[in-house]
Formats: sequence, structure tokens, C-alpha cells
Amino acid sequence: MSGAILQLRDVHKSFGEAHIIRGAQLELRAGERHAVIGPNGAGKSTLFHLISGQLQPSSGQILLGDEPIQGHSPEQINHLGLSRSFQITNIFPGLSVFENLRIAVMRKHQMQYHFWRSIQRYPEVRAQTEQLLEQVRLQDKQAVCAAELSYSEQRALEIGMTLACDPRVILLDEPMAGMSHEETDYALSLIREVTQGRSLLIVEHDMDVVFSLCDRISVLVYGEVIATGTPEQIRADRRVQEAYLGEEQCA
Amino acid sequence: MKLTKILLAALLLALLVLPAILPAAMVNAAIQMLIAALFACAFNLLCGQGGMLSFGHAAYFGVGSFATLHAMNALNGEGLLPTPLLPLIGAMGGFVCGLCAGWFATKRAGVYFSMITLALAELLHSLAPHLSTLFGGEAGISSMRTAAWGLDFADATQVYYLTLGWVVLSIALLYAFTLTPMGRLTFALRENGHRLQFLGYNVHRLRVLVFALSAMFAGIAGGLQALNLESANYVLFDMRFSAEVVLNTYIGGVNVFLGPVLGAALMTFFGNAASDLTQSWLLYQGLLFVLVMMFMPSGLAGLVLCWTAQIRRRGWLAILPAAFAALLSAGLLSLAVVFAVETLQRVFSQDYQALLIADQAWPAISLFGREWLPGAPLTWSMPLLLGGVGLLVLKLARRQWLRLLDDEPAVACAALNPRVEGEQP
Amino acid sequence: MEFLTVSLLNGVIYGLLLFMVSAGLTLIFGMMGVLNFAHASFYMVGAYLAYTLQKFVGFTSAVLLSTVLVGLLGVIVERFFLRRVHKHGHAHELLLTFGLTFIIAELIKLFYGNFSVEYRVPEFLNFAAFQVFSTDYPFYRLLMGGVSLLVFGLIYLLLTRTRVGIVVRAAIHRPQMAEALGHNVPLVFMAVFGIGAALAGLAGALAGAFYTTNPNMALELGVIVFVVVVVGGLGSMAGAMIASLLIGLISSFAVGVDLSLASLLGLLGAGDWARQMGGLMTLKVSSVAATIPFALMLLILLIRPSGLMGEKG
Repeated sequence: MSGAILQLRDVHKSFGEAHIIRGAQLELRAGERHAVIGPNGAGKSTLFHLISGQLQPSSGQILLGDEPIQGHSPEQINHLGLSRSFQITNIFPGLSVFENLRIAVMRKHQMQYHFWRSIQRYPEVRAQTEQLLEQVRLQDKQAVCAAELSYSEQRALEIGMTLACDPRVILLDEPMAGMSHEETDYALSLIREVTQGRSLLIVEHDMDVVFSLCDRISVLVYGEVIATGTPEQIRADRRVQEAYLGEEQCA
Repeated sequence: MKLTKILLAALLLALLVLPAILPAAMVNAAIQMLIAALFACAFNLLCGQGGMLSFGHAAYFGVGSFATLHAMNALNGEGLLPTPLLPLIGAMGGFVCGLCAGWFATKRAGVYFSMITLALAELLHSLAPHLSTLFGGEAGISSMRTAAWGLDFADATQVYYLTLGWVVLSIALLYAFTLTPMGRLTFALRENGHRLQFLGYNVHRLRVLVFALSAMFAGIAGGLQALNLESANYVLFDMRFSAEVVLNTYIGGVNVFLGPVLGAALMTFFGNAASDLTQSWLLYQGLLFVLVMMFMPSGLAGLVLCWTAQIRRRGWLAILPAAFAALLSAGLLSLAVVFAVETLQRVFSQDYQALLIADQAWPAISLFGREWLPGAPLTWSMPLLLGGVGLLVLKLARRQWLRLLDDEPAVACAALNPRVEGEQP
Repeated sequence: MEFLTVSLLNGVIYGLLLFMVSAGLTLIFGMMGVLNFAHASFYMVGAYLAYTLQKFVGFTSAVLLSTVLVGLLGVIVERFFLRRVHKHGHAHELLLTFGLTFIIAELIKLFYGNFSVEYRVPEFLNFAAFQVFSTDYPFYRLLMGGVSLLVFGLIYLLLTRTRVGIVVRAAIHRPQMAEALGHNVPLVFMAVFGIGAALAGLAGALAGAFYTTNPNMALELGVIVFVVVVVGGLGSMAGAMIASLLIGLISSFAVGVDLSLASLLGLLGAGDWARQMGGLMTLKVSSVAATIPFALMLLILLIRPSGLMGEKG
């Protein structure tokens, strides 16, 4: 299919008896911002785990561009241009903010086995790290221990690390979870800015964010994508209202 | 930072002139301290920096030792490798062994990793006596240092300088490693290996390389010991040596680069000094380790850094009361423990038990140059008294210390995080 | 035939003994996530205490009393040592138990000397139960096996049939939830640790009389117990039982097997060549019987790290 940079074709995933993902069909078009919404337990995080290589699908295909990536290791998928963030902040707590981003930046420069030169001798790494720091607005905190950042600062760092490898596809797993209104606004503008020219797949519960940010939305219920379309189409879809939004409107 | 550099330079100078000042027996002890320090530093690359706790590191030290001895016998000091360069063989042996063992061990993480390293070490330990061509059976393998570069390596002083050279070089290399990209990644491995995968790194390969590097430097230490003792036997693979390096490293402090070096040097020094004075040195070492794990998890080096941070903030005079109280309580409590342990040790020793006759008073034991009767209340009230007073002074010291920390607890924390030279705040 | 029967009996009984010690260890790991290095030390302390008490209260009472005392020791270790370092993480707790092992071993050496002590099976238990072909089979071995089975049965019933057992099992799998429901989980932890220690102490008190009682017994048994627990699956009682029996049988049989790789190759006609090569080729299985458990542990850790019966992940 033309224009699709990430495709899920009839993906199934079972854990023993529990059939979590039941034939998910998803298509992320190049350059679009696409949200995945659905009730708790629908399997959204599992879907991300399957795409990013943490889990192997029981059956089905996942294609990045034209290449099947199901069953590949996470680092292989990352090399192909896909990067993800985590719902539960997954940073390097004992290292400084600067170091956290630098570790993420180093990969692109293929330096992981360089043991003969001090890292200070790679000015391009420093430059790129500082640029990222500015983008996620953490320059003032660059020497602070990552564990001591506030929650939303850690989420910003998480996003920064996800971007460092200059991916063409970004997966964000509930980046705004637990944020206040101001923090959400700031994170929203950050995400909008950094995903220019890239393709974004985002899991979010905050409907305002989803409707204002995304070009298209897929609704995941009980491991199946029951609807895909523009925000207006999804709002009007009867099945979606019953399964998901409907409950919210009543409540 | 400048103070650290001055101190290190002074230390180096002291180490250089050591053989001129101290008697031969102490020079030998110094050689052992240096080797233990290097071993602990190599171990910490894997454990403190990489976050992989290995319970069988003596295996790579031992392999380095045996490899070097075989090289000594085979190359006879001439030809390819003169004596001073022999530890390179130890390095190679350690590296290759570490590569193989590490490949298996790093397939799992956490407790499972530790158990694999333990199993591998025990496997080697139980196989070694049977592989007599490699490990020489009961008697082990021995060799002799041969002359090279105009030196005959017949006496301790020359061996000392050879050891010093290698140890300083290796520790410097290990430090330089922490500044390199791969070195920074090692810290990231400890912090969150899982995330590294999603950042595009092959975590297993990284872990294996770190393991192999750590084993390589352990092999150098083993090689240096082979040169020093001119022999090795399968006892080197005993759990005891793996346990010792773990104890030394944690007592010194895993989060500070020179922590394990400090811990190993001190423990080896006291071990040597105390072995003439007491039979219970290992007990004291174990007690110290448990105390450190429970009350000072950042080790002795961490403690030193904490205090120097306070000195920098408040000046020498301000910390004096707390420091004095702390030292006093440490002294009193140590004395109490030593008194109790030594008394018990003498009372329960075989020689003493043989002297006991039923229904008669127990004879006196001699301790600290005095005679003490086990039956007398004074003998038991001494440790109790010392301990009691020690605890009271400790309470005082704690109060003083907390008063010092008053407004900036973050200072204490920051001092303990791994700092990299040149990283701008 | 005689060799087979005797080895079988010995292997099963040794395995049951291993189970008594590893049951506590695997329970503690499953519950607290801590691999208690000091567990085999409890075994050793049980033996030494029974030896000391035997002179005052007779064998049976000594065994029972030492079991209780070691249980108390376990409770003290959990309450005053482990709980304090709980916040630093599992590696820290592991290291602490490692240090405690060290201290306990040194204290034993302090009080009892570096060599083994004269702890023997008492006369009234020292007879032959029956004859296996031409040799006497000692009753005491059967007693050890019998006590292990009894203990296993009691624990199984306790865990599955009583209210206390349900709470303990809940606390093992979901400690926070159990605590939220109002159960005193710290108490459960302490109790499980204490009972696990008591079991190890009982095993020591019984086995020490039959085998030797010396300051190295903790290390020797300790490593084997780790192998059992890893092979069986950390946290699984059934796994511990299976692995204990497996290792008991393997150790028992291997000691009597005088074959080597050379003998195997001899069947193919390459025997002389192999014998000339020496080294690994001529190593007899009996000599390396001690290494087989480790090889097994390595195999399991690589192929199925959660153990034979452990839960995945």
C-alpha cells in the first residue's frame, strides 16, 4: 500500500490461554500523526511491545516500510528507523540528564565500541546533545540526576531520548500520563514540533490531545481495531460510541 | 579536583620510594596489596560500573596466573616475551576466558547472572585438580623469573617496581575507559540495560565485552601474582578468593572509582598485619563487610567523600567535633568487639580447653599484655563497658553530623554519584 | 544389582535431605526475591547446636531444640538485618546474606575449631534396618528420609489446607495486595523465613550426625542447594523436590561409575588413542561426580532459566 510506513496485518498475540491481540489491522501513513485509543486492557501497550520488538506476535505481519519486522530484536528495529517511548518512565536514573541524552545520541554515531578516545573528543555528540536539551527545554537541568527531576520533566527527557536517533517512525506510549493541564499543553506543543516530517503513532487517553493533534485515529477494543478514521469520523462512529466514547459521555 | 590530583601524586611518590624506607617483608606485603587493588578495580568494572555482580571472578585471576606460569616455563624469559611483559599473557588468558564465560553468563541478568558466574567458577574449581597438564594437580605449576632488560628480578624490590608499574598503568587505563563512549555505556548498562536495547544497542554484545575486559585486567593481576610467587595451584579457584574480592570492593565503595582500590589495599594490609596478632581476622573482615552493607552502603570511599564535601562546605573547624566523636566511637566499639572476640577465641581454643580440669576455676588468658580470668566479672564487663560508651559517643557523633548536614542533604548525595572529569555542570 | 539398589536408596534419601534445605530457600526467594546465601549456614548451625545440646539433653531433644533455635536465628536475621537493607534492592540483600554466611562460618570456627567434631549417630538409632543383598542398610538413613517426607507432607498440608497457608501463599505471590487486604505481611515474611531456617536446621541436626560436621559443610552443601533451587525453579516447591531427587540420584550413581570418555571411545575402537591423549579423555565419571550438578545448572540456566517448574519471567 502506498504511503504506508508502518503496517500491522492480522496480528495476533496470545499469552498461554489469554488471547490479547486478536487480528489487529493498522496502517500508519508516512508523515501522519495517528492515535491509538481504547479502553483499559484493550492491548494498546501490548501492540507497542509487538511493534518495537519486545514481544513476538503469535501470528501476523508487521511491516516497516516494505520490510517485515515481526520477530526482530528491538535494536534491529531501532536501526530501521523506529523509536519508542515508554508508559512507565524508562530512563537512566543515576545518570545526569545530559548523560541520558548523550547515551541516546551516541548510537547514531556508531560509537558504542569506541574505547580509545575520551567522549569529550567527539564535538558532534556534544553539539547534538545540547540541541536535544534545548528542544525538550531541559538545558537548565542538564547536570541534575535524572532521578531527581519532576515527573513531567522525566517524561520530557523520555521523549528526548526517543528522538535522539532521528527516527522516521516514533511511537509514544501515553506521554501525557499523570501531567497537569499546563504540563500537557507544553508537552503537546513539544510533540507537535518534533514530529514535523516524521510519522507518529501515539497512545493517549486525553481526548482533547488526541482530537487536536492527530490526523487519524484507530480504536482498539479487546485486541481488535474496530474503527479507523479522521477524528470526526471516529466521533460519529456508532460502534466506537458504544464501546468507548459512549461510556464517557454517559459518565 | 586539584586536591585530588595532589593527593594522588603524593601517593604515587610514596609508592615509588617505598622500598627504600620499608623492610623486605613489608615490601612483599606491598606487592600483595597492589595486586589485590588491581584485582578489585578490575572486578568493579563489571560489578560497580556495569552492574553485574559476579561471584566467581577468581577464575579469571587464576587463569591469568596459570597462563603466565606456562608462558614463563615455555618462553624461558627470552625469545618473544621478556619477563616484564609476561603479564600480557595473563591479560590474554583472562580476556579469552572472560569472553567465553561472559557470553554464557550475560545471557541472563540479575540473580541468574550471579548464579551462572558462581556455577562456572565452581565447575572450574572442581575440574582443575583433575586436569594436571594445565593446572599441575595437587602441587600446582611453578617456574622461575628469568633476567631481562639488564635486571635479574631476583629480589623483592625489582618485582615490586614491576608490579607497581603494571598496576598503575592498568588502573590508569581502567579510569581512562570510564571516559570513553564504551565506558559511559557501561554505566548505562547498570542503570537500565533494558532501555539500551530500544535505543539501538546490542546489549548482550556490550555485556560480553565489558565482562571480557574486566576478566582481562583480573588476568593481569593474576599474572603479576604468578611473577611474584613463581607458582600457582588450583586452590586459586577456590570460592574464598572470589568472596574476598567482593568483600574488598564493597567495603571500599563501588560507586567511587578508587573505592575498591582503597578497600582492597586496606583489607590486604590489615590481613597481613593482623594475621600474626589474631586468628580471627576473617571474622573481623566479615563483620566490617556486614556493617558497611547495613550502615554505609557507599563504602569507605563514599564516607571519605561525604566528609570532604562537608569540609569543603564548612571548613575544617566546623567538622572537628563530629569527626572526633565519630573516630572515638569507632575506636571504642572496635576495641569492645576485638576484646570480646579475642577473649572468646582464646577460651574456646583447643589449647585452652585442654588445660581445663573439671570443678576447678578456669585459668587466666593473656590479652593485650595482661592476664584476664574468664570467671572474673571484670573480663566480661570490659567489652560491655567499652561497647556501651562507644554507642553513646556514636549517638553524639550522629547528632553532630546531622547538624552539619542541616540545610543541604543533596550535597551528601551528589558526592556519591559517579562523576566524570571534565563534565561541565 | 546391589550397586543399583543401594545407590537408588542413597540417592533418594540424599535428595530428600537436600529438599529439606532447599524448600526453605526456594520459598524465601519466591516470597522476598532474595536468594539467601546464608541458608546453608542455618544447616551448619543446626548440626553444631545439636552436637552441643546432645551432651545435656540427649539426642532427640537436642535435634528438636536445635531446630527451634535455628528457626529463631532465621527470624532474627530477617527482622534485624534483611529488613534494614530491603530498600537498597535485591543485590544488596544478597550481598548481606553473603556477608552473614562468612560471619557464621567464622564464628563456628571460633567456638568449635577448624576441624570436624565428634557428632555421631546415637547408639539407640545405630542399627541396620534390613539387608540389601549382602550389605546392611542403616536405619538412620531411612529415618532421615522419613523425617523429610513427613516435613514435606506437613508443609504441603499447611500451605494448601489451612487458612494460614492461604495467607502465606497470597503473601508470596502478591505481598502488597495481601497487605492491602489487612494481613500482616511483614509477620508472614518473618515466619516463612524462620520456618525455612528451622527446616535447614533440622536437616543439619539429623544429617550432621550421619555425615561429617565441620566448618566447611555450609559451603559444600550451599552450592549444591543453589543448584537444586535454580534447576527446580526459584520459588517452586515441586520443582525443588524434583531437582533435589534428580541431583541426589545423579550424585549417588555417578560416584560408582568408573567410566570415562576413553571407555566410551573404546567401544568405537579408539580407546587406546583416547587413553594416550589423557586429560579430559581419561577423566572418570566418578572423579568428576561433584561437577555434574554444576554442569546441569549451567545447562538449565541457558536453556530454561526459570527452571524445570518455575514460572516464566
